[in-house]
Amino acid sequence: MAVRVHHVLSAADAVRTYVKPGTVIGMGGQNINRCPMALVHEVARQGIGDLTVVGCNLSLPLDILVACGLVARTEQGSGNLERYGTLFAWRRAVERGEIEPRDHSHLAMATRFAAAANGVPFMPTRSLLGSDLLTGLTEAEVARVSEDPWSGDPVVLMRALSPDVSLIHAHRADLAGNVVIEGVTSHEVDMVRASKTTIVSVEEIVPTLSERPEEVTISGAYVSAVVESPRGAYPTAVYRRYDFAEDEIKNYQRLARAGGADFAAWIAENVLRQPERSAT
Amino acid sequence: MIPLPREILAVEGARQIGDGDVVIVGTGLPLLAATLAQRTHAPGAKLVIESGIVFPKVLPTPISVVDPKLMNGASRHGSLFEALGGLVQRGLVHTGFLGGAQIDRYANINSTWVAGKRLPGSGGANDIASHCRTVVVLTDHEKRRFPEACEHVTSPGFLTGPGARAAAGLPPLSVKVITDLCVMEASDSALVVTALMPGASLEDVRANTGFEIEIEAVPTLPVVEPPTVEELTLLREVLDPDRVYFPERIDQ
Repeated sequence: MAVRVHHVLSAADAVRTYVKPGTVIGMGGQNINRCPMALVHEVARQGIGDLTVVGCNLSLPLDILVACGLVARTEQGSGNLERYGTLFAWRRAVERGEIEPRDHSHLAMATRFAAAANGVPFMPTRSLLGSDLLTGLTEAEVARVSEDPWSGDPVVLMRALSPDVSLIHAHRADLAGNVVIEGVTSHEVDMVRASKTTIVSVEEIVPTLSERPEEVTISGAYVSAVVESPRGAYPTAVYRRYDFAEDEIKNYQRLARAGGADFAAWIAENVLRQPERSAT
Repeated sequence: MIPLPREILAVEGARQIGDGDVVIVGTGLPLLAATLAQRTHAPGAKLVIESGIVFPKVLPTPISVVDPKLMNGASRHGSLFEALGGLVQRGLVHTGFLGGAQIDRYANINSTWVAGKRLPGSGGANDIASHCRTVVVLTDHEKRRFPEACEHVTSPGFLTGPGARAAAGLPPLSVKVITDLCVMEASDSALVVTALMPGASLEDVRANTGFEIEIEAVPTLPVVEPPTVEELTLLREVLDPDRVYFPERIDQ
């Protein structure tokens, strides 16, 4: 595959171009940090379904897609919002058998992304040994116990995972698609490098980062589209830009926990009906 | 000042961290315990956070492993692969703190499924239990949390019993479980009660444990030292003034 051509697009155009029914989405963000909310709201508005969502910690963006009935499968290390509780829409759907979750450890997921990011079919880890996670992943044919060819010790081979499209939110990008993330990057860099395409929403687009290439976290070589989306991670945090909005997250959790008409009305009003986010 | 049971638990958790130790903690009581240790007897303790934060100086009171308050003054902001792979799996993190819905007789932990209820899942817990040499579990002591055997093993303790961990290819491990009733320890064995919390009895432990407890063969079980006024004041006034972790605490 040739180096990707990047485009500065609106969220609507980027999602329309790269997210299709049945797509495997690599989900950026972790818990209350830098979740790609604006992009996920756009996926929800376009009603693109039968999605497989993969990531390490899946949080608010997954739960919203599940609440909209758009998710068929997840491959994840965890699904929760830490102090703010579990993902209620996801949990309900999993317990009802509507979503098939494939459980990994966080390192096992990161290892699968690292394999794909480096163009190799699998990568070993020494996590999972002896656990029921290994049993499930072996049955799913994405993990296999083998032995270190030198020492003979057991290792677990994790199959490379290459999402169709990754969605992440970052601090800034330039017109060549180079991306800067400040603070922790969780699983995102390898996931993006592993993905067939990637949409990056950013707080701001700058003309060029080529005078300070050492600041670039992800090369434009891996980026398909850049979307300017100030506060595009709200209500989750962007390090040094804005903190997470605790009241908003608590409110979502209260509604999601209860489910039913109030939750559906909140989704309709705040996700589905919401116009393209402005700079306010 | 009268400490609450969970405050004693957090302080006893802090005492497991030595000056200069490298420890990985998630959020919740373990993070509070590690921050307390850093500000009391272990100023040189180094924290690793799974999201990629290496050796931060924690500002009160973070609620998540990606909370910006947790990113303060770090050695580096890296990735999950660096933290769990490059430090934990690499063998540079000696002690890991874990929670979990269930922990069984052989110290296996379940954080995925309990009685048809879907829980958050492993996160970094399986990685920590697979690679750290010491695991500390802080948990409330309830019967449903201590079954004979976990219905789903998310994170390995000693699996089916002595020798099983080595047979699976896992390195040796010591586990210490600290609850609001007691301390239990295990090393390639079943959990053994080694100390009681102030005011708790073995009868309390028995009544709230789902498996037959083993008790260390000593004439009298030691009782955990209650928190000092300094520890309790730090916990209440500096580290968690908004009672994020102790909603049960009522200002006196």
